[in-house]
This record gives sequence, C-alpha cells and structure tokens, in this order.
Amino acid sequence: MFANSKRIKRNKTIDKVFRYLFMGMAVLSASFIIIIVAFVCIKGISPFLPGYEFGQVDLWSFLTGSVYRQDTATYGVGFIIINTLICSFLALLLSFPISVLTSLFIAKIAPKKLGAAMQSVIELLASVPSVVYGIFASGVITAMVRSLAASLGIATFGGSSLLAVIILLAIMIFPTLTSMSITAIKAVDKDLESASLALGATKTQTNFKVVLTAAKSGIFAGAILGLGRAFGEATAVSMVAGNKLFGPTFDLFDITRTLTSTMLTGLKETSGLDYDIRFSVGLVLIVVIFASNWILNQVKKRIGNQV
Amino acid sequence: MKKILSLFIVAILALSLVACQGAQTSTEGTETGGTTTSSTINVYTRDSSSGTREAFEDAIGLGEGELTSAASEVSSNGDMATRVGQDVNGIGYASLTTDFEANNVKPLSFEGVEPTSETVLDGSYKMQRPFNYVTRADGDYESDDKQQLVEAFIAYMTQSQEGLTVVQENGGIVDMTNAVAWSELAANYPVLNQDNSGITIRTGGSTSVEKVVSACLQAFQPLAGNVDYAMAQTGSGDAVPRTLGSEKDGANAIDIGFASRAFNDDEDVTGALESGEICKDAVVVIVEANNAMTDITKQVAYDIFSGTKTSFDAE
Repeated sequence: MFANSKRIKRNKTIDKVFRYLFMGMAVLSASFIIIIVAFVCIKGISPFLPGYEFGQVDLWSFLTGSVYRQDTATYGVGFIIINTLICSFLALLLSFPISVLTSLFIAKIAPKKLGAAMQSVIELLASVPSVVYGIFASGVITAMVRSLAASLGIATFGGSSLLAVIILLAIMIFPTLTSMSITAIKAVDKDLESASLALGATKTQTNFKVVLTAAKSGIFAGAILGLGRAFGEATAVSMVAGNKLFGPTFDLFDITRTLTSTMLTGLKETSGLDYDIRFSVGLVLIVVIFASNWILNQVKKRIGNQV
Repeated sequence: MKKILSLFIVAILALSLVACQGAQTSTEGTETGGTTTSSTINVYTRDSSSGTREAFEDAIGLGEGELTSAASEVSSNGDMATRVGQDVNGIGYASLTTDFEANNVKPLSFEGVEPTSETVLDGSYKMQRPFNYVTRADGDYESDDKQQLVEAFIAYMTQSQEGLTVVQENGGIVDMTNAVAWSELAANYPVLNQDNSGITIRTGGSTSVEKVVSACLQAFQPLAGNVDYAMAQTGSGDAVPRTLGSEKDGANAIDIGFASRAFNDDEDVTGALESGEICKDAVVVIVEANNAMTDITKQVAYDIFSGTKTSFDAE
C-alpha cells in the first residue's frame, strides 16, 4: 500500500511538472505574437508622433496620399490601399469560379482514382514557395501580358502590370480555395443529395442547387483564407508589380504598387524614416486584412444561416 | 441576409467595371496621342536607397524629386537588367559589372565614350565616382598595434593582388597592373603574426562602399590574427569629421572613413596617416538589345529621366 501511494504521488508531481512545461510553451508562443505586434506598432506609429527624430509625418496625408516617393520623402499610402484591394479582389473573382468548379469535379464527378490524383496535385500547388511563383510570373505571365498588350496596341512596362499581378495572385490562391471547397463539398450530407435526386432533379441540378448551397459556408471560408494570402503575398507580387510612384492604378496594363511590394522593395539597403515608415505600411496592411476579414465573416455568417 | 450577399457581389462587379474602364481610357489616350504607343519610353529606376541610383543621378545632374513619377521602381541591379531586357521601350542603369548579354540589354556609351575598365580608370568615361578612404592622424590611435593593423589593411585593400581581387569581385574597378602579392607586403607588418582578436578596427563614412569594405575586412581578418572590426557606415560626409575632425574623440570616432566621392575643399585630409583611392565605381545606362540607340549624352539622359523626353525617336 505504502509503495503504491508513493508511486501515485510521484506520478502526480510528474503530471504537474509537465502541465507547467506545456503552459510555458503556450505562453512563449503566445508572447511572440504580442512581441511582434507591439514591435510593429511602436515602430509604425513613431513617425506620426511629435518629436520624431527624422521629422514628423502627417498621419492624414499618409493615409490619403496618392504619391509614394522616397527621394522627396513623400509617403502617401491611400492609393496603395486601393491598389491592394483591387489586386486581391479581382484575383479572387478570377480564381473563385475556376476553383469551385474544379472542386465540384474532384469531389462529385470525377472517378475516385482521378479525383484523388488531382487533389494531391492541388495540394502540391499549395506548397510551392512563393518565390517560385514569382519567377514563373516574371518569366511567363509577363511575356503573355506583353504579347496580349502588343496585339491591342498598348505599351507596357515589359509585361509588369496590374493584370500580371491579378493572374499571379489568382494562381496562388487557387489551391487554398480549391482544397477548402473540396472539404466543404465532401462534408455535405449524402441524404440531402439522395433526396434531391429522388425528387427528380438531375445530377447537374443537384450539384449546383443542393451541394453548392449546402457547402457555401465552407467555400466562403476558403475564399477568406485565399484573400488573406492575396493580401499578404509580397515576394512574387513585387517581381511583377513594377512599383509605380503614384496611383491608384485602374488600367490593367499599367504598373501598380501594393502594400507588400512597398514594404519589401529596398528594405535591406535603407535606414531612417524610409525604414520606419515600412512598419507603418505594415500596420496599414494588418488593419486592411482585419477589416476585410471581419466584413467577409459577417457576410459568411449571414449566408451560412439561410440554408 | 440576401441583401448583404448581393451588395457584396455588386461591389465586386463595380470594382471590375472600374478596372475595365481604366484600361479603356488608357487605350484611347494613346491612340489620340498621335504617336505609336510602342515608342513611349519606359523609365526604370532603383529605389532611392541604392548607391547606383545615387551615382547615376549625380552623373546626369538629376536633383532630388526631379525623377519622372512615371518611372517603375525595381529592387536590385539584377532585377533592373532583367526588366529592361524584356522591354523594348525600357531604359535604366546598372553597374558596369552587370552581365549585359545574358540579360538581353545593351550598355550605352556616355558622351561618346564606351564604358570599359580602361575608360573608367583613365577618367574619360564620366559616369563614375571614386571610392576614397581616409585614416586617423599618425599616432592618434589607441595603440601602436592598431595603427600598424590599419596600415596593413589599407595596403591589403589597395596594393595586394588578393585584396584588389576582392574589391573587383564586389563591383569596384581597379588597376591591377601594379598589384603585388600579399605575402610580400605582409612582411612589412610584424603585428600580423600575433593574436589581434582584442583589437577592433572601426570604419565609417559612405554606405555605398560598405559592400566592398566589408568583403575586404572579412578576407583580411584571418590574415591579421583575427582582428575584430565594426562598421558604422552612415554617409560620405561623416568620413573626415569622425577620423580627423570635430567628432574624432567622440562616441562615433572611427579609424578609417570612406567617401563615395572626392574629398572636397572643406575636408582637410592632409593630417591623415594615409588617404587615397580604393577603386572606381561606374554606372552604365542600359537599353534593350535591339534598341537603335548606342550613345547617350548627359542632357538626353536628364531629359528622359526627368520625363521631358518621352520617345526614343522624336527629337
């Protein structure tokens, strides 16, 4: 009896130690987020405070400005916010129908083996590093845009353009969107489908009217994730965006500038205000992502309710 | 519920409509412009923190903020060459060490002089600048060992075959004809044979020379008893004050200062233990390989990069 209670006691201590160990790890990882956000905030807000060592920047003209030039120290990100929204939403618009139809094919129509093979191809696509997409885009997509523009008689900056960014982002968010949609479609209750078929609906009618309607919440979640990737993508985008000095850019064949490409270009070589202001741009990007995620989540809640 | 969804869809559609409209207006613009669209010059530039951009704008007399805002910003020297090589209407600038052929670009001569190592070194190619150095005065070092190490480093960087090769590999244009083997020079500095890991050589001045100097220091370190070094490159203007001038005994004091230009009349370097030139840095204007242009003058370059000249053929 005595030996047994000793063992129980020891085991309890071990449990306790491990509980604190796990808690420590959790606190550590959570504190990283706090440290990062705090660091970005402090750095990003400092240029707008009085007494800033490189000369205070006016917050209002920063947020609404339509020129971003380091040589004259004119920093306005208003047009860059619009550019970023245009790029990301148009990319989503382009990618959404393709990926929904693809996922419908993989989950419902394709033979089992073919579907599984295609799904792993799409998962592979998701794991390709963004710089590889960037090289592909600056070599292939820009060439396509260039020849398209030439056939329309429009001059481009060697194919670097808003259109190239949109096509690139559409390709990059496609795997995220598709795999989320596949999961959502596969989760649709079989009984729903059978009921629809029993009522005399054709397979196509069932797929569009029943399956997609039932899966729309999950598909929408995929769209939100995809949009997040489109907003945050930096490396590949700055390889084809062209970094225009003013804006906003509405012309598909004109060069553009996104929040991420602005932060990345020349980061390694710069210092002073031009360095600190990139944190402010980062803050703006965080706010833009939060805001659009919140709006889309509201939309998702609404459409998710009315099945 | 449905209202929000439809609102959202309308927003997306409106956005795409705006985008299409933008595309349309631009085509109209170029058609009514009278000239063929293909001859509008596309100006490429580096971001303003780039040393190459600084050297280029100095050479053509382009002041701050004068650059056309229609320019496209690229992220690096290699990026510049790639992008200009893909754009028949593109013009940009790159360092002389760029592989022009591989990127399908053509280097232009400047004011009738072709950019080569020879024309840069004899001074006839004008789009260039010197990288200069200046040290503290004789005897004004923390120790004699340190003074010897600074002398040895300068000798390594400016006279030895090994050092000059490092400079060349990092973009500097040097005259190798008088270079001697490091082993010969090293014999003059017995301090190199002892352990110098407790000594720190401090450098400062121009940020443009940072790449060259840090590569040299890295190569020099194992040859000099693991001497330590600290680089604080802030700008050419700090080179002289921090070695010989008002800040030489302050917190920012340095042992060797660098400038990516000639020292001017206000900067007296006569008191320095040593001062002189490390190498030259040259910038070349580049266009796509099939461009008919072969030469560019300072005035034409200024007009193109300031946006007053927008076509290659129209005069």
